[in-house]
Amino acid sequence: MLKLIVPFVLLFGAIFLVVESDDPDPPADFTFINRGDVTTLDPQRMSWMQDLRVARLLFEPLVRLDVMTRDYDIVPGVAERWEVSEDFKEYTFHLRADAKWSNGTPVTAQQFVYSWRRALLPETAADYTALFQTIDGATDFFEWRSEQTRQYAIRARDLTAEQKRIESQKLWEEAIAYFDEHVALHAVDDRTLTMKLTASTPYWLDLCAFIVFAPVYEPLVSQYEQIDPDTGLVKLQLGWTKPPLLISNGPFTLENWRFKRSLFLRANPLWWARDTLDIETIAIPSVEDSNSQVLAFESGSVDWVSDVNADYRIQMLADKQAFYDENREQYEALKAQGLDAFSIDAALPDDPRKNIHALGAFGTYWYNFNCKPTLPDGRENPFHDPRVRRAFSMCIDKQRICDDVMRIGNQPARNMFPPGAIAGYESPAGLPCISDARNEAEKQAIIARAKALLAEAGYKNPADMPRIELLFNSDGGHGIVAQQLAKDWEEFLGVRTFLAQKEIKVYKDDLKKQNFMTGRAGWFADYADPTTFLDLNRTEDGNNDRAYSSPVYDGLLDQAKLETDPDKRLAILAEAERLIMEEDLPLVPLFYYVNIYLFDPDEVTGISNHPRLQQDLFNVDMLGDGKGRDQVKHITSKDLN
Amino acid sequence: MLGLILRRLLQLPVIILAIYTITLTLSWAIPGNPLEKSDGRQPPAEVIEAMKRQYKLDSFPAFYMSYLKSATGIEYLGDTLSGKRAREREQAEAAGVAPPTAYVFNLGPSLQYNDWNVNEIVSTSLPVSVVLGLSAILIALFIGITAGVVGAVKPNSLADLTTLVVALIGISLPSFVVGTLLLLVFAVLFPVLPVGGWGTLDRLILPAVTLSLPFAAYIARLTRMGMIDALSADYIRTARAKGLSETKVLLKHALKNAFLPVLSYLGPATAYAMTGSFVIEKVFSIPGLGQHFVNGVLNKDLFLIMGVVLIFATMLVLFNLAVDVLYRWVDPRIG
Repeated sequence: MLKLIVPFVLLFGAIFLVVESDDPDPPADFTFINRGDVTTLDPQRMSWMQDLRVARLLFEPLVRLDVMTRDYDIVPGVAERWEVSEDFKEYTFHLRADAKWSNGTPVTAQQFVYSWRRALLPETAADYTALFQTIDGATDFFEWRSEQTRQYAIRARDLTAEQKRIESQKLWEEAIAYFDEHVALHAVDDRTLTMKLTASTPYWLDLCAFIVFAPVYEPLVSQYEQIDPDTGLVKLQLGWTKPPLLISNGPFTLENWRFKRSLFLRANPLWWARDTLDIETIAIPSVEDSNSQVLAFESGSVDWVSDVNADYRIQMLADKQAFYDENREQYEALKAQGLDAFSIDAALPDDPRKNIHALGAFGTYWYNFNCKPTLPDGRENPFHDPRVRRAFSMCIDKQRICDDVMRIGNQPARNMFPPGAIAGYESPAGLPCISDARNEAEKQAIIARAKALLAEAGYKNPADMPRIELLFNSDGGHGIVAQQLAKDWEEFLGVRTFLAQKEIKVYKDDLKKQNFMTGRAGWFADYADPTTFLDLNRTEDGNNDRAYSSPVYDGLLDQAKLETDPDKRLAILAEAERLIMEEDLPLVPLFYYVNIYLFDPDEVTGISNHPRLQQDLFNVDMLGDGKGRDQVKHITSKDLN
Repeated sequence: MLGLILRRLLQLPVIILAIYTITLTLSWAIPGNPLEKSDGRQPPAEVIEAMKRQYKLDSFPAFYMSYLKSATGIEYLGDTLSGKRAREREQAEAAGVAPPTAYVFNLGPSLQYNDWNVNEIVSTSLPVSVVLGLSAILIALFIGITAGVVGAVKPNSLADLTTLVVALIGISLPSFVVGTLLLLVFAVLFPVLPVGGWGTLDRLILPAVTLSLPFAAYIARLTRMGMIDALSADYIRTARAKGLSETKVLLKHALKNAFLPVLSYLGPATAYAMTGSFVIEKVFSIPGLGQHFVNGVLNKDLFLIMGVVLIFATMLVLFNLAVDVLYRWVDPRIG
């Protein structure tokens, strides 16, 4: 018996030792659960919301957006001031003298050139490389480099190892020379950065505030870039984004990053605006399960859950509504004062029900229509005809989808942009749908119009249409929306729809190959200009899964590029949006996304509820912790001050 | 004994190569492009093309050979001999920064977690899974054997029926239910244990118990069966006739034989407990290895799939070997 017990005792001892030797992070001033695990902290390569959110704490671009203002004011970042030419084509930035990296060296204009060049190399795999191509000559460089390396890969097959080493190095030096000569991005001196753009871009400052435009520390990163002799491509070695190696220039520094466990950030003493910070440390534990996220909040170990997905969030939101109803009088009075939702919550009596917050996000949920005449397997695609797309778009009860299916407070969408998200932009009215009808007669009129459109398109009897297929991916609760949509079309048009649920990779593949008739999709905006959505429907755009191609539409977007008057430019873009939202309908918007937060407004302040819904967590202050100013932060407006 | 160990270790590379070939072929056939994200922004076609060239994703034989080279250490050896690594080190030192880590057995980068090598992922998550899995197995043994012995001493008694029912529940209840219930009770209603995470003993308790239940149930049934068999054997009657105490008869004589089927179950069970804890990792936010089997395949993250499958295969072979060795140690009749 002893023989058997000995190994077990030894094992228990070993487990005890392993666990006890672990060194957990100390408690942080502010702890939050991010939208998902951070995949990369390389600013040029990132595109996930959770990565961007952490990067905004670690890095600082030329300018920043003040998310606590109503108009998202552009405020100085690494650049202390800038000049913009009248046609919005030439920008000059003057870098501040006290902008420093976390190792104490100054941030220079040359480092911006280096970082932005990285984003323009095809092999960096920067998801946002297209945004950098706004710079004059950048597209040319990107294509030139793609072609050069493609040819090299073929040539290299016949070279010896030593030849490959020399040739690939030469190819790289040529690329740098080509960049310096052709791309209109220059470091005039250490603290002056100039750039010329291909077209009038009034929103360029907004882009420069986007964190993928942040600089990386060249002496470090360049050591991790090696030329691969076989392909001639720059091969990025991993490791420099992790502590203690990472050198950054933002409000916080990364003290610890443990895979699938946690990130730990500490205020950067060398950041030029260090005085504005009200917290010292931030912890971001990795909690994937949506129930566990809520439990973590309820047990008090987490201050903010940034994306509540537990199924019972619907009940939680209903409880919140009940709480408002109980305090109706006080609520209305606070609202009349012009306070934002979080400030109202903070002023209401203490109650756990007020910790849940549903907020409109800068994103839209829609269904794509395949605009090609046939499917890859040769079948006829009825949605090729814009009249069919219009008819189907009209016969959707969007309000019912929001109220009965989603049930988390989404607003039905008639066009691509959530209202109020883009200052100065007026979205078109859009195509009316079933839920826009105020009475039964109007509803019947909409249905009659839709049926007439189908008849014009050659489908006198909708039931005789070819089998309509609706594509969606299996996870994320898209199934119930798809079912409701199919039900709407059957109820209003008499069309039977076949639901095709596919695993996410297959679904993506089908969308890319136009192997669908209509399919689930959506988009979150990257910057505050209509082109962030409108470019998706350009004929040649890589994200144009609909294969929509309209010379008129493309022409309007081109025309907007040439227009130097910002107001006229927005008017042209609104006309382009009208074209796709009222006539051509390559996609039908269903509703605007809602994001659900969980935090106690009596404890946490500095979270923004602007419709663009970006969170810069260096604004956060924990109320009553004795650190920082400990005052509720309200969203401010220039007009009010 | 030594011969057995040597023979098995020599078989290992052949088994691993076969598993590698089959798994890669299957993973390659998964539809979808590994470089595309499941959501969000897609890079332009030129970028995808350049990345395919860089990772050799444009040709199966090229990928097959290059992964084999880097994972077996041939590439590392080549780089060392050609002086490439020494050059890199010098360059980095001249620039005053740390050189990139060179792995002898380089399992490649994860295509999904852009900043992490599969080596890093495995080396941080494997110890977690091993600790969690072993703890669960130890708890399962304790619960399972106790329940099994209690049941076997008086078959069909109330105690026996109770253990049967509990075992049934342990096997049937999915771990996300048990896990969430335990969390609700012990972390939220009576906050005595943390909600999740890793790094301290108290964080280990709930997930280890949750993970152990199905194993405990199985072990209880195996032990009960073995004990009932053993207790009716002649040598037990002899032991009782000798006047040995009932405890001694049960624990020293009967259990020793009844334990053998449990022991042979332990090999695969341990390997499974260490890698099959996907749900538990999710519920308790544990940075273990199990989730990468599922996520790797869903994202078609070839490097990650290959990395975890090869590690798992190696573990399975080694655990079975360990069980065989233990078997011979416990029961010298087998040889």
